[in-house]
Amino acid sequence: MMSLCTWSARRPGSTSSANIMTMRVTLLIANREYLENVKTKGFWLGVLLVPLIFFGIFYLSSRLATATPTRYFVLVDQSEQYASAVDAAIQREHQRHVMQDFMAYLQENRQQTAGTTLPQTSNNRLNELIDDFGNDEVSALDGWVEGGGLDMALQMARPYLREDAPPFEEPRPQFIQAEAPPGIDASASPDQIVEDMRPYLADERRLNVDGERVPLFALILIPENVNEDIVRPDSLQTLMTDDNAPRGVQYWTANLTDTRLSNAIQTSLNDAIRQQEYASRGINIQQVRAVQRTRMPVSQLDPNKAEGEEAVSFADTFRQWAPMGFVYLIFISLMQSVQYLLSNTIEEKSNRIIEVLLASVTPSELMMGKLLGIGATGITTIIAWIVSFFVFLQVYQSVETAMIVEILDVLLSSELLPYFVFYYLCCYALYAGIFLAIGSLCNTLKEAQSLIMPLMLVLVVPVLTMSFVAQDPNGTMARIMSWIPLFTPFTMMNRAAAQPPMVDIVGTTIVLLICIAAVLWLSGRIFRQGILRTGQPPRIVELWRMIRRRGQQ
Amino acid sequence: MSESVLKLHDVCKRYGDFTAVDNISLSIPKGSVYGFLGPNGAGKTTTIRMILDIIRPDTGQIEVLGSRSAMSVRHRIGYLPEEKGLYKKMKVWAIIAYFGTLQGLSRKQARNKAFELLERYGLSDFANSAIESLSKGMGQKVQVLASIVHEPELVILDEPFSGLDPVNQEVLEQLIRDLSDNGQTVIFSTHVMQHAERLCERLLLITKGRKVFDGTVADAHAIIPRRIVLETCESVESLETIEGVLSINRLPPDLTGRPAGSCQWELYVREQADPQDILQHCFSNGVTLSRFDFTQASLHDVFMHLVGTEAREHKFR
Repeated sequence: MMSLCTWSARRPGSTSSANIMTMRVTLLIANREYLENVKTKGFWLGVLLVPLIFFGIFYLSSRLATATPTRYFVLVDQSEQYASAVDAAIQREHQRHVMQDFMAYLQENRQQTAGTTLPQTSNNRLNELIDDFGNDEVSALDGWVEGGGLDMALQMARPYLREDAPPFEEPRPQFIQAEAPPGIDASASPDQIVEDMRPYLADERRLNVDGERVPLFALILIPENVNEDIVRPDSLQTLMTDDNAPRGVQYWTANLTDTRLSNAIQTSLNDAIRQQEYASRGINIQQVRAVQRTRMPVSQLDPNKAEGEEAVSFADTFRQWAPMGFVYLIFISLMQSVQYLLSNTIEEKSNRIIEVLLASVTPSELMMGKLLGIGATGITTIIAWIVSFFVFLQVYQSVETAMIVEILDVLLSSELLPYFVFYYLCCYALYAGIFLAIGSLCNTLKEAQSLIMPLMLVLVVPVLTMSFVAQDPNGTMARIMSWIPLFTPFTMMNRAAAQPPMVDIVGTTIVLLICIAAVLWLSGRIFRQGILRTGQPPRIVELWRMIRRRGQQ
Repeated sequence: MSESVLKLHDVCKRYGDFTAVDNISLSIPKGSVYGFLGPNGAGKTTTIRMILDIIRPDTGQIEVLGSRSAMSVRHRIGYLPEEKGLYKKMKVWAIIAYFGTLQGLSRKQARNKAFELLERYGLSDFANSAIESLSKGMGQKVQVLASIVHEPELVILDEPFSGLDPVNQEVLEQLIRDLSDNGQTVIFSTHVMQHAERLCERLLLITKGRKVFDGTVADAHAIIPRRIVLETCESVESLETIEGVLSINRLPPDLTGRPAGSCQWELYVREQADPQDILQHCFSNGVTLSRFDFTQASLHDVFMHLVGTEAREHKFR
């Protein structure tokens, strides 16, 4: 039969020379696709922009933490009881900051003798402090303050610092109390004070601190009879009042995102009130303190590790979360490839290049060539990202990057990498086939956009559910999603670190591979006919006819 | 006739109710320049696509270069489609070379051949330009070169002249003659008769998917009898007795500046009839002629004669 000739001639195994020819032509097409894509500005933008954004965020967030401006607040304490508590809160917040900076300094400048942990010291208090810092910041801070703060810590740590360690720079205080501006009557009614302070809170007027005009960050107003508002378990009636008047301490600020000051003050005030309560109920405060600092450590252990090494380290925790990073990588790379697949196919169609091509190559050679060429583009992008990552780590070494180096070690040494390579390729083959078929049906990107919309929505699902799957990698939802071929590469990648049952790994892989074969076969059929189509994209019925039509076109 | 490079046997192609190609059979001898003529929508492009196995006929057989499918001999065929297009970002030489490599040339061969062709057909200045910087006609020339870079035995050009200026049409005609001199068979479709008249040895004329003529250019001319226009005041009825004269008609009177009483007559004569006999007869019978026009029917007339009415109908369909 006439109609069978072409395809039988191209069927694998018919003649070896035809196979070699097919392969040669496929590689030629792939090569051209690849070179043309790599030459575009968009490609390089993608290659450079992703690491730039990543490191930009990384850099900014580490710099911003220290770059917050000094905040000035005004305290009006009409009760004349809590000024010291607020002061203590500010002091404690500052000490917390100092301690954090000191710990970072210690890690950066310690002697490099024992890997990631500090050398064993004979000084138990420093060990205790470091231990506390890693486990319970509150008790660490208590220990820090009680032990004498920075002076003590510097003294203790000195023998263990590198010889060339720079001196520790104490961070400047972030919250400073300012005098109420002139003209504010501290004994006026709270409403009156707030009214007078409004221009300052709205940054219409500024405070004068040592001759400098500074914005007011917060106003803390403690009314005279504030103690009446204390909530006790047995005094529920105060909760029942339904008027909206502010109760207790009033904390006024236009900045709702920086909650450090309000949190510190709330904690400190409550500490103060509770001390009064202990005293009034005749409870020994020292004993309460001792009780509060008593704690039971909870060790995180991993049953999948060798005996004696069950302790869960940072790297282990990270390994559990790493698959999510891989899922993102698959997703971003796929999005990029999809763009190329669609736009290149549509360019060939709308410029009518396709017909010349089809006189020289078969549609399946063209399709395979495109899949390979654009796949290679995607892989190039990923490799470029990884290389730029390493370059960055070489150039910019610090505590934070030391952490990233650890992360990279985990990634590259882990068993996750083969999973990633496998699921990346599967995901690409699956979706590229579908998108290529869509591209072959459309004459403009606009037409394609409406057709790919449903597919994009499907693609968003694994990204949205990613963190749920990571939290419960072998749960019902994760298992169900693994068996849906469109989700399999993402979900299985997501579960890869959690030792999913063998039946899931093997079973979903078989289903996925069958699905990929089917998709590529169907796409090939649609591609062969779609590629020469002009006019509107077909409706479902026509599409079905295209798939069913055998041989003839 | 020498061996055929292309044979079509009862080929049909329908799209739904519309018959694009209806029972076309033909055979094209090796080394000839063959013209596909026909009005718009006649089925030329569909026929060419079927020859190239880009689309398949519903019924009938096609044999190209001894093979049942153009795909298995595609490296011996060069094709310029009706709708021209090239990758916009690629350089001129690169795109010609790319198509050369797709057709089996090595990279080096393809590159050399590309530069050689650009040189020969006056495009060497543009070798390194991007396609998008060329004019439409220039791009078309590049595409023609891309379709012949691998020196195919059979070159199929669909509407190669459309969109070219007269100078470049001349260049393209020369290119087709070069190919023919080189022993390559050229098939081209056109609806401009002059090109066909100058270049083709054989013609195929189709309209509404049906073949209405297939033969040499001389055969085509013979379809329309030769026509002589006379202008005289006397009667010319006696001319009918002359051997070879088929008919005499009086043309509608033309009022512009004719001497009073003069009439125009239209004579159709056989191919082999000698106009000298008619002239001689007029002299010997004392018929004073104020005009004697003997015109060979052009291919255009043949075309209009064969497809004129149908083409117009088609246009308003």
